Amino acid sequence: MATPANTVIVIGAGPNGLAAAARLAQAGKKVLVVERAAAVGGLSARHEFHPGYAVAGILHDEALLPRAVAEKLGLSRHGLKFQKAPATYLAEASGPGLLLPSDTAGAAEAIGRRSAHDAKSYTAMRAFLDRITPLFASILSEPPPAISPGSAGDLWQIAKRGLSLFRIDRKDLLELARVAPMCVADFLNEKFETPLLVEALAAPAVASTWSGPWSAGTMTNFLLRECAGGEAIEGGPPALIAALLAAARAAGAEIRTETEVARIRLENGNVAGVTLASGETIDAKVVLSSADPKGTMLKLLAPGTLPLKIEEEFINLRARGTAAKVHLALSGPLELTGNEGQLDEAIRIGGGHVDDLERAFDAIKYRQFSERPNLEIRVPTVADPSLAPAGHHTVSILASFAPYKLEGGWTDAARERFGGAVIAVLEQHAPNLRSRIVAREVLSPLDLETRFALTGGQLHHGEIALDQLLMMRPAPSAPRYKTTVPGLFLGGAGSHPGGGVRMTAGVLAAEAVLGG
Amino acid sequence: MSAKKYDAIVVGAGHNGLICAAYLAKAGRKVLVLERRHQVGGATTSEEIYPGFTYTCCSYVVSLLRPWIIRDLELPKYGYEILPLESTFTPFPDGRYLMRDSDPERTRRSIAKFSPKDAEVYKRFGQEMAELGRLIKPLIDDPAPDPLSRDPRELLRLGRLGKQLRGQGDEWLYANVKMMTMSAVDFLSERFECEELIAPMAISGIIGTFLGIRSPGTAYVLLHHYMGEIDGSFRAWGLPKGGTGAIANAIAASARALGVEIRTEAPVAHLLMKGNQATGVVLENGDEIHARAVVSGLDPHRTFLKLVGEEHLDPEITQQVKRFKMRGSSGKVNLALDGLPDLACLPGPGPQLTGGITIAPSIDYLERGYDEAKYGAFSRKPFMDVLIPSLTDPTVAPPGKHTMSIFVQYAPYHLKEGAADWPNQREAFGDAVIDTLSEYMPNLKDRILHRQVLSPWDLEQIYGLTEGNIFHGELSLEQLAFLRPMAGWSRYKTPVDNLWMCASGTHPGGGIMGAPGALCARTMLGKRAV
Repeated sequence: MATPANTVIVIGAGPNGLAAAARLAQAGKKVLVVERAAAVGGLSARHEFHPGYAVAGILHDEALLPRAVAEKLGLSRHGLKFQKAPATYLAEASGPGLLLPSDTAGAAEAIGRRSAHDAKSYTAMRAFLDRITPLFASILSEPPPAISPGSAGDLWQIAKRGLSLFRIDRKDLLELARVAPMCVADFLNEKFETPLLVEALAAPAVASTWSGPWSAGTMTNFLLRECAGGEAIEGGPPALIAALLAAARAAGAEIRTETEVARIRLENGNVAGVTLASGETIDAKVVLSSADPKGTMLKLLAPGTLPLKIEEEFINLRARGTAAKVHLALSGPLELTGNEGQLDEAIRIGGGHVDDLERAFDAIKYRQFSERPNLEIRVPTVADPSLAPAGHHTVSILASFAPYKLEGGWTDAARERFGGAVIAVLEQHAPNLRSRIVAREVLSPLDLETRFALTGGQLHHGEIALDQLLMMRPAPSAPRYKTTVPGLFLGGAGSHPGGGVRMTAGVLAAEAVLGG
Repeated sequence: MSAKKYDAIVVGAGHNGLICAAYLAKAGRKVLVLERRHQVGGATTSEEIYPGFTYTCCSYVVSLLRPWIIRDLELPKYGYEILPLESTFTPFPDGRYLMRDSDPERTRRSIAKFSPKDAEVYKRFGQEMAELGRLIKPLIDDPAPDPLSRDPRELLRLGRLGKQLRGQGDEWLYANVKMMTMSAVDFLSERFECEELIAPMAISGIIGTFLGIRSPGTAYVLLHHYMGEIDGSFRAWGLPKGGTGAIANAIAASARALGVEIRTEAPVAHLLMKGNQATGVVLENGDEIHARAVVSGLDPHRTFLKLVGEEHLDPEITQQVKRFKMRGSSGKVNLALDGLPDLACLPGPGPQLTGGITIAPSIDYLERGYDEAKYGAFSRKPFMDVLIPSLTDPTVAPPGKHTMSIFVQYAPYHLKEGAADWPNQREAFGDAVIDTLSEYMPNLKDRILHRQVLSPWDLEQIYGLTEGNIFHGELSLEQLAFLRPMAGWSRYKTPVDNLWMCASGTHPGGGIMGAPGALCARTMLGKRAV
């Protein structure tokens, strides 16, 4: 297909791909988004796993979504509405559990009913996080700094950041330097005496990373998460997709689904377009891929395109999936024993102690899945009953840990065994669960890879680890979205600032295209 | 008792305390070193625990002692002599083995049996580490730069450092950032493919830390252990002639020659405080000794919580001290042997016994050992670093007899049952060590004349190492450089006026390196504190 000279092809129509498309189209580029699936949305799309039953996205948490980026793209004009994140119910084996509102005062009050000490600690911790949030907000919303500043722009960025450091109290900075490389368990144990709380606060920092709460460096992920938006959106991730789609289309972007890219074509070393799986070719001098970096650089480029050294960087990018998704269709509500009569949207179930979370992680080191996985649960039908038949509910579970490379392989039997382990954990808190299960779907990391084109089944397109952040993400040769292949940009979760229901990488990559 | 007033009193005659004292005396200061035990050296010690056999009780190899300290203090004149250790032997349960030694071609052939590709990469690896070490080396010979400082002089120094770093090129910078943030296994796996090589190499990244080989930050510790230099050659390890204690004796002799007064069996009870100022020390026998400055060669916990006392500290400082992680993770088993044991995979005497013998057969093996320790139990199948010092230095055992030093990890100070349960578990721990080692040396048990088992609890009791941490505090990223031992107090000066710290709990950290002691003295002299 011949296209205008200023065409940019965007691979993938998840939040990053659509955000990149909207940003580019708004700046006057001719944009074509190609998506291999039948629907747009990627991991944020509404996911129907049984006829009539759907969850609001494979990724079900919008806490990382940046309001500033949404404003930049004008998404509110296309129906995007932020709202307060739901309270999270922390279930416990014998006890009432803890319903943790998403605002500091509410959470502190709830914690205070357990421990006055912890309530005080929680308020102090949130205050510290609030004080350092401006620094993190700038890190999360800008391209990563250059490792050795060369241009005037680099120096300006560093100077700005240096100034923003000066605005933060030196005591806070020293504390930040101390805690950032720590493990999340040490940090939280310094602060809290309630094991249930420590485990629950630690869990998001290790979910879909290849680390446990005792792994050094997990505090960085904790800080990156806790200093992000922390809000939710009306309608969940699919509502973001709808707004992005409308914004991209309004700006003139064209979106083609069921259009799988087989190869990124080069001519004289420069990007010349893509060849589709159907054999069709589309011309473009710029391709922005929101697919994962390993898939893009090692599979979509013809073998031998990259110099060995660059290729090695992408081979070395660690992208091992560590979590599975389990979806349940229920004929009634999910009723938890500690919390009778209440319908919770967000639930966490662990073993009750941070060491239980660590044990769940231990399993994947030996290529096993955890027999007692840690569960991050959303019940999307509480807010949106249309996802299931009347009176019925769906449950979305992110279960940690399950390795991509399971000993013996992810056979049907292995998948069912893991599903069984998840149900067993949930059933301890929801005794009438089993009789209500209409259907269940288990997506192992291998399933996530094959069904959603995620290398390694890694939900972040590359593990979140100290050496895979900032300008190290996804690789030293592509620290700021631009790769060594002229015309090829990486703008997915594998690039800074990473994955989750977020659009920053896509927008920053689009700006790299525009800047070049 | 003593009316004599000293310029400085150094508490603890470990190698850092002695080095600090020597440098102060060299600058003309009057220095007194007080040691609780009957001999100098602290954990830099060798002792005749069993008649006729000199055990290297704690530290067992030396590679890190800074060459300029050796020169400044003229240590060779006082008996400092290093006998090189040239090989590392790794046996595997299935009878295969890996030998790495000072002959590159022999090493290449040994590795090639496992992986020809790795054998080639290995040849370049030492060079690569040396390149990376260029960043660290100047940093360990100077106080740690403070990137969060607002002092113009410090900012200037940082600017210069930044310029220097930029000059190294992006590739080098990226490699360094990766090394500072990766785990030893990830770092090595980017280069090597065979686990039989990665596992024994990765252990350098965890020695003395409570981290697993997959923990981020351990790649840096790996480099830390590659910094060894004897006569200038990188990654050269050696045994001090006469046992590790000989180093301490040489430093002590040098210090005495410079005028330092050293008193052993003189335990300090606490500091003499006047407001927030240290004015001297009180011995356990009640004697008070005054000095212009007090230098602590003890770890940060002991220094602040025992010598100073919480009652003299700002609660915030107390909290920071308590948060400084000690967490000993290793133990020692020392043996007197009737004769040499045989390795099952390569029986008889030979070079396989003369160097280090590393029991680290696989990544999973090491990781399982770590997992046990995380939950408060010693590793049933531990990682071991074994040496037969008597083969290199026959003076430490009677003719025909031998000593064996076994460094064992993990042995967590905090057992599930509590640290105080170590006396009950000590021998079971020793048995686990000997049983595991016997799988590789089937006749070991028949050769044992005597065995000494040192758990982290014992290291604390005997050597005053809090929680048995051999480095006076974990070498984890948040406890290094300008954060060691506490943010804002990384320059040997402490929040207590006239109290200084000179040991492994300060930058650049543990091992028989001597830099903290020397840098502390340099800083004190520079600030005219004495």
